[in-house]
Amino acid sequence: MLYVISLLLLFSLSQNQIEIKDAWARPAAKNSNSALYFEVVNKGNTADTLYQVTSDVSKIVEIHETFSRGDKMGMRKTDFVVIKANSTFQFKPRAHHVMLIGLKDKMLPTQKKEFTLHFKKAGKIKVSADVK
Amino acid sequence: MQNFHNIFSKLFLLPVIITALFYAGCKDNLPVIEDLQKRNFNLVNQDSANVNFPGITKGKVTVVGFIFTNCPDICPLTVNNMQRVEKKLREENIDNVEFVAISFDPERDTPQVLKDFAEIRNINFSNWNFLTGTQTEIDSVKNAFRIMAVVEDTSYADDGMPYYFFVHTDRIALVDKEGKLRKNFAGSKINIEEIVSDIKSLR
Repeated sequence: MLYVISLLLLFSLSQNQIEIKDAWARPAAKNSNSALYFEVVNKGNTADTLYQVTSDVSKIVEIHETFSRGDKMGMRKTDFVVIKANSTFQFKPRAHHVMLIGLKDKMLPTQKKEFTLHFKKAGKIKVSADVK
Repeated sequence: MQNFHNIFSKLFLLPVIITALFYAGCKDNLPVIEDLQKRNFNLVNQDSANVNFPGITKGKVTVVGFIFTNCPDICPLTVNNMQRVEKKLREENIDNVEFVAISFDPERDTPQVLKDFAEIRNINFSNWNFLTGTQTEIDSVKNAFRIMAVVEDTSYADDGMPYYFFVHTDRIALVDKEGKLRKNFAGSKINIEEIVSDIKSLR
């Protein structure tokens, strides 16, 4: 019993050390692509890793990073993002973002869309993002 | 020796004098990067209407952005920045400025796809055109504006559908009333005050 309580407490502590703020996604037409942006605040003393994002809004959900090459811009898939201890990491335009590829329906301003962020330590964290 | 000095100083000053005379004849300080008047590309707009560009915007300063609608990050920023320019111009009661977004992905960016992309962003089509065309014609436009777009990453859906993405020039360009390309900006991080000031100088 004590073991189970300890495990639950540990899980609860690790979840609380990660906070997701200001989640939003771009409006986009059905069958096209959008991007999800948010801020990850790691209040804990250990690093955590975001390794997956899942959602029903699109056929593919991937973590991407935007890069520049001279006056050109591109993006590529990245398998994970490490959020250092006591730090904030921003998924923002022209930087890391979550790609929503092949939208199952259009995403209109004022709508809210649901996502689940998967962290190695904090586990699954549900996020509601404003479309704007 | 004295003669040599005179000839040398004249040769040295000649380009300076020519440049000064060139700018003295213009009310703006923006050099002509490319004269597009004779090119007049045959393109198709979001309503599937055949249009000649820059013919359709002749007589008006035109803000030109280069995009592909499958781009989720940079190209929406480019179009959003063009909308911010439009808003700033409206606030300053400046009209007669056209906005053109040209797709470098004509295979996927059909007129309907462009229209859907624009409508979801509440684009006012009275002074906006979203243009696509044949690959050959789009390649000519890219050459004229020195736009590079190369397919790099591809993601595959569970149904096998490929979604490819371009590494591309990040560009908003300013074309004057005569159809001459006058200035280039980084489309996704443009300085609104700077481009509005340049638009004013070209009117």
